Amino acid sequence: MEKPEKLIVDGKRLDGRAPDELRPLKIEAGILKRADGSASVELGANKVLAAVYGPREMHPRHLQQPDTAVLRCRYNMAPFSVDERKRPGPDRRSVEISKVTREALEPVLFLELYPRSAIDVFIEVLQADAGTRTAGITAATVALADAGVPMRDMISSVAVGKIDDTIVLDLTKAEDNWGTTDMPIAMMPRKKLITLLQMDGHFTKEEFEQALDLAFKGCEQIYGAQRQALREKYAIKKGE
Amino acid sequence: MLHVQNRELVVPGQLIAEGGYRVYEGAFREGKQVYASVVGLADLHGQDIRIIPLQGRYIPKRGDVVIGVVVDSHYSGWILDMNSPYTGNLFVSDLLQRKVDLVREDINQYLSMGDVVVAKVKDVDERMRVLLEAGEPGMGRVEGGKLVKISPTKVPRVIGRKGSMLNTLQDVGECRLRVGQNGQIMIWGRNPRMINAVVEALLMIEREAHTSGLTDRVHLMLEKMKSEGGE
Repeated sequence: MEKPEKLIVDGKRLDGRAPDELRPLKIEAGILKRADGSASVELGANKVLAAVYGPREMHPRHLQQPDTAVLRCRYNMAPFSVDERKRPGPDRRSVEISKVTREALEPVLFLELYPRSAIDVFIEVLQADAGTRTAGITAATVALADAGVPMRDMISSVAVGKIDDTIVLDLTKAEDNWGTTDMPIAMMPRKKLITLLQMDGHFTKEEFEQALDLAFKGCEQIYGAQRQALREKYAIKKGE
Repeated sequence: MLHVQNRELVVPGQLIAEGGYRVYEGAFREGKQVYASVVGLADLHGQDIRIIPLQGRYIPKRGDVVIGVVVDSHYSGWILDMNSPYTGNLFVSDLLQRKVDLVREDINQYLSMGDVVVAKVKDVDERMRVLLEAGEPGMGRVEGGKLVKISPTKVPRVIGRKGSMLNTLQDVGECRLRVGQNGQIMIWGRNPRMINAVVEALLMIEREAHTSGLTDRVHLMLEKMKSEGGE
C-alpha cells in the first residue's frame, strides 16, 4: 500500500470514520470449550482470541508464591496474521507485550485469594491491523471474567494517536504507519485508573490531555461491549 | 440501597448496593459501595449480599464433603486430587480414626494409587494446604461405582432444593449417588443402562443449570430411558 497524500479528508479518515469513532467492535465470551474461560474480539480487521486456564496448580513448583496466585500472560501473533509472514515464536516485541499485558491485568484481579496457584492467559492474534495489544487486553479481561476469576473491575483498552495533526481514536495499520503518534491505553473504566500507557511519537501537553479524554470515551464504549458479551453468554442459557 | 434485583445476572465491577450490607463471596466492598467480583446471580437476603458464581474452580472450604482420587502417597498418608488447584492431604490416622504405629503397620494396605475416596475437609490453612479426614460413616475408600466429573459451581443444582433433584436421580434412576462439593460424583447401581442414564442426566443438569423446571425435565428423561429398555 502506498502512502496516501492525506490521512484525513473532509474530516473523515481513510475508512470513513470520524476522528472520535471506534472501528466496528464484536466481542464474544466462552467460545473455547476446553479453556476455563475464553473470548474473541474483533475490532475492525483485528481478530484476537484469548483463553484463560486456572487458577490451577503452579508448575514449575519453585515459581509458586506462598501468599498469592501468579498471573502468566502470553501474547502471540499467528504467522499469517500480518502481510509479510511473521516468523513463529516469541520475539522481542511479543515478549514485551506479554509483560505489559500482565501488568495491565494484575491490578484488577484478587490474586491473593488463590495462594500457590497460577492463572494462565493466552492471547492469540489471528489477524492484525494495528492495536492488537489493546484488543488482546480487552479479550483477556472478558476471558478472565468468563473463567470465574474474581476481579475488582474489567480492563478496557484502546489506542489513540495523532494523524495529520488531528487526535484520533483507534488507529488502523495505515494510520499507525504514516501517522505521527500512537498511544495504547488500558484502564479500569469505573474508577478511571490507567493500567497501561505506552507512547510512540510525540504529543504536546494539550494534545496528550485531549488524547487521554478521547481514550476514556473509547474505553467506555468497549467496557459496555465487554459487559454485554458476558451477559449474552448466560442469557442464551436462561431463555432455553 | 440496592441497585440490582434478587437473582439478577451481574458482571465483575457492577454496583450492587450502597450502605451497610454484609458482604459474602463473589462481592467486595469499596467504602460504602458493594460491587460484584464475578459473573453470577445476585443472591440478596435481607442485609446479606452474595453472588452465586456461574463459573470457576473448586476452592476447598472447611466442612465440605469431597470426592478425591489418590495420586501419591507419603510416609504417613496420601495426596488426593480434588479437581481443584489444590491437592488434599489425608493422614492414615484421619482415615482410620485411630493411632497408627507406622513402624509396625504397612499403610499401603488401606489405600493405593488411583483409589477414589470420600472425605471431609478437616482444615484449610492460609497457604491453602488442605487436611482431609474420612472418619464418618460412608466415608473412606469407594468400592465399585462410576465417577462423574462436573463443574463445581453446578453442584447445588444437582442436589436441588432440599435435595429434590438428588432424590429424583436416585429414585427414578434406581441408583445411589454421592455428591462431592468439588463436582465429582459417585454413582452406584444394579442396571448399567440406568447408570448411564443418570450420567446423561448429570451432564444435562450441568449444561442447563440456569434454566427453571429442570427437575421435572430430568424426571421425564429418566422415566423415558427406563421405559425404553428393560434389563
